[in-house]
Amino acid sequence: MSSPGIRNEFDIDKQQVLNHMGYGAGGAPSARVESLVKEYADNICHLIEPSYSYVIRGIDSVRGSRVFIEGSVTFRSNIIAQLLEQCQKVAVFVVTIGGRLEEVVRQLAKDGLMVQAAVLDAIGSDAAETLAHVVQDIVGKEAEAEGLGISLRFSPGYCDWRVSQQKMVFRAMGGDTAGVRLTDGCLMVPQKSISGIIGIGPRGEVEGYNPCPTCKKRDCIGRR
Amino acid sequence: MPTLSKPRMSEDIIGLIRENVIQGRVAQDDEGLDGGMAGQPGVLELTEKALAMGIDVRDIINKGLTEGMNVVGKKFEAKKYYIPDMLASAEAVGAAMGILEPHLAKSGVKAKGKVILATVKGDLHEIGKNIVSMLLRGAGYTVRDLGNDVEPQAIVDAVREEKPQFLGLSALLTSTMVNMKDTIQALEESGLRDKVKVIIGGAPVSEEFAQSIGADGYGADGFHAVKVLDSF
Repeated sequence: MSSPGIRNEFDIDKQQVLNHMGYGAGGAPSARVESLVKEYADNICHLIEPSYSYVIRGIDSVRGSRVFIEGSVTFRSNIIAQLLEQCQKVAVFVVTIGGRLEEVVRQLAKDGLMVQAAVLDAIGSDAAETLAHVVQDIVGKEAEAEGLGISLRFSPGYCDWRVSQQKMVFRAMGGDTAGVRLTDGCLMVPQKSISGIIGIGPRGEVEGYNPCPTCKKRDCIGRR
Repeated sequence: MPTLSKPRMSEDIIGLIRENVIQGRVAQDDEGLDGGMAGQPGVLELTEKALAMGIDVRDIINKGLTEGMNVVGKKFEAKKYYIPDMLASAEAVGAAMGILEPHLAKSGVKAKGKVILATVKGDLHEIGKNIVSMLLRGAGYTVRDLGNDVEPQAIVDAVREEKPQFLGLSALLTSTMVNMKDTIQALEESGLRDKVKVIIGGAPVSEEFAQSIGADGYGADGFHAVKVLDSF
């Protein structure tokens, strides 16, 4: 299911943008960075061409670290297998904010305006996250209508799920990938895109699945 | 009342250049990292003034720009500065070097060496590499940036033609970092491996990975990359 016609008035979370740039707890941005974030976040709409696509697939079986999804798709990851073992279905999605913003980032960097480039890049990352939340909400409502719940989002590259598994995610999409393509190195183009899965299963069970608290990689930027 | 002698004036201007590098102020309209500095001369104006006063270009670079960046590096290490702050300072140094470049040769300033940089085949991420490029330029290296998604053969050709002392390879993904190994292998097959020191960087790589693929060094971040090159 693809809906490219969604509104592109994004509420950019300025704190999240600062987090993307490395300002964590206690890290205060300079006056210049703060004003750039505000200026760009409030005037970004013309650089964003949001598009998303998702499909909901049945789970045929889970064997060890392999998950067999309908449509000859196999996900390989212990973490994903443990999640999908509890689920009846899985939503597979791709979202993108298009290529316009990254073109401007590239041009800014080329002109030596690296601060501006870094700020705009971080805003683009936040916009893509916002769009992924939109899809998560839609999938959540569909699941709720069936009395089911949804899990956190997981993308190739998270935990032990290899980036090369992007190929399987894209295969699961069945041809509609919201205008996003994969390179041989499994990079998405446009780059400001997010792909991944959301498990759909018994309410009150799947929502709580989170491998982070027991993970030893304490400095992981994706820690939840 | 004492008057400022010329050497004292030079020190004052160089000190201001250093402070403005730390504040990441390129030009006078820039408010600076701490804010409220708009209207005061920035690194561009101060560098022009220093040149007009006949201050030695080596002093402008070493005591002004480089010392300023050293302070920025320490603040970055201590997590008092973040990536955008460091970029603002690197921008200021880059702008000053643009003005100083035509004066380098006649002032007897030699580049520390030539570096070729590339994001390896299959990878499109550039921000990290661009940061390293700016910091290396600011530290006195000549940099040739081949861009992203660069085939091993294109890197080999550039090394053969341009004879750099250093080659910096960047990758952001576990799926593309393997192409660093292919690039080093291509250098070996072309008989060029011992002509150039190879340093790698990027989120998924490590010192151990660098050793395992036969690289000469690993830069954990831009400032570290400069230190590693300096150590060669």
